[in-house]
Amino acid sequence: MEERRYRSASGAPIALRCRQHSASCRELAVRCPRLQLRSLSAVTSAVWLAAYGLFVLSENSVVLSAAIFITLIGLIIYLHFVKIDQESLLVIGSLGIQVTSSYASGKESTTFIEMGQVKDVVINEAIYMQKVIYYLCILLQDPGDPQGVSEVVPLFQSSKPRLDCLIEVYKSCQEILEQRKTAPHQA
Amino acid sequence: ENSPAPLPERAIYGFALFLGSWFGFILYLIWAYVPETWLFSLGLTYWPQKYWAVALPAYLLVAVGIGYILLFGINMMSTAPLNSTHTVTDNYAKKQQQKKFQEEAIPALRDIPISEVNRMFFLPEK
Repeated sequence: MEERRYRSASGAPIALRCRQHSASCRELAVRCPRLQLRSLSAVTSAVWLAAYGLFVLSENSVVLSAAIFITLIGLIIYLHFVKIDQESLLVIGSLGIQVTSSYASGKESTTFIEMGQVKDVVINEAIYMQKVIYYLCILLQDPGDPQGVSEVVPLFQSSKPRLDCLIEVYKSCQEILEQRKTAPHQA
Repeated sequence: ENSPAPLPERAIYGFALFLGSWFGFILYLIWAYVPETWLFSLGLTYWPQKYWAVALPAYLLVAVGIGYILLFGINMMSTAPLNSTHTVTDNYAKKQQQKKFQEEAIPALRDIPISEVNRMFFLPEK
């Protein structure tokens, strides 16, 4: 269980941890950088300075208490709904793939995709905002068409690792997915 | 037949456009600057309000400025999101026919599925 350091698409440092539970079960976790104290204090000071400016203009002290309230509520909402701490991928050969996102407040959101629906795990390139990024995604099988793709599930959306990290994760997943073809399929 | 070389017809079209644009510009200046009473005394009573001589250029400039932002926004809206199948395939690729493989010939052009491309790029050849 080693932890290797990589960079995200925007340059932030991320860490990849790969655990092999058994021959057909692997867990890959990408840890995002934690909330920086300097950015938190910068945003708080900016909001409080703006509120103080409004207070000086309007002579109403409600503005100051409202600013404190907004900062606290905003921070709690950000930590609970926006800031992702760790994204992990658990691949179990015969069962399926589980994708977990852990938020900074401790909340965990999990999605499970059973192996029958998984066509492949690939590295896809797409236009995102003004850049072209590589991202890992699960291709879901189209029940009617064996060659078709019904849905694309992008992974590691908030940590956005770069290609070197994605290749590691891709190779790990492919080693397990290849066992599907060699082992007899049991419904 | 379709060459960009100068031709007599093109010279005539160009000169007609040149005269026409000068005439339009002088007409616009007259409409904007000559006082209404002088125009009425000449019998030209049904010309548009002079307000439009300022309003139309203003509208045009604002439209050009908004057009930059609008085009940018339309581009962003038309970009397929990361979870759409359009990043992986499209109608032409789904309906393509597989041509038979011939020995010693260059393989026919086709859209290669993304799984195959990934295996070729990222899995080392043994």
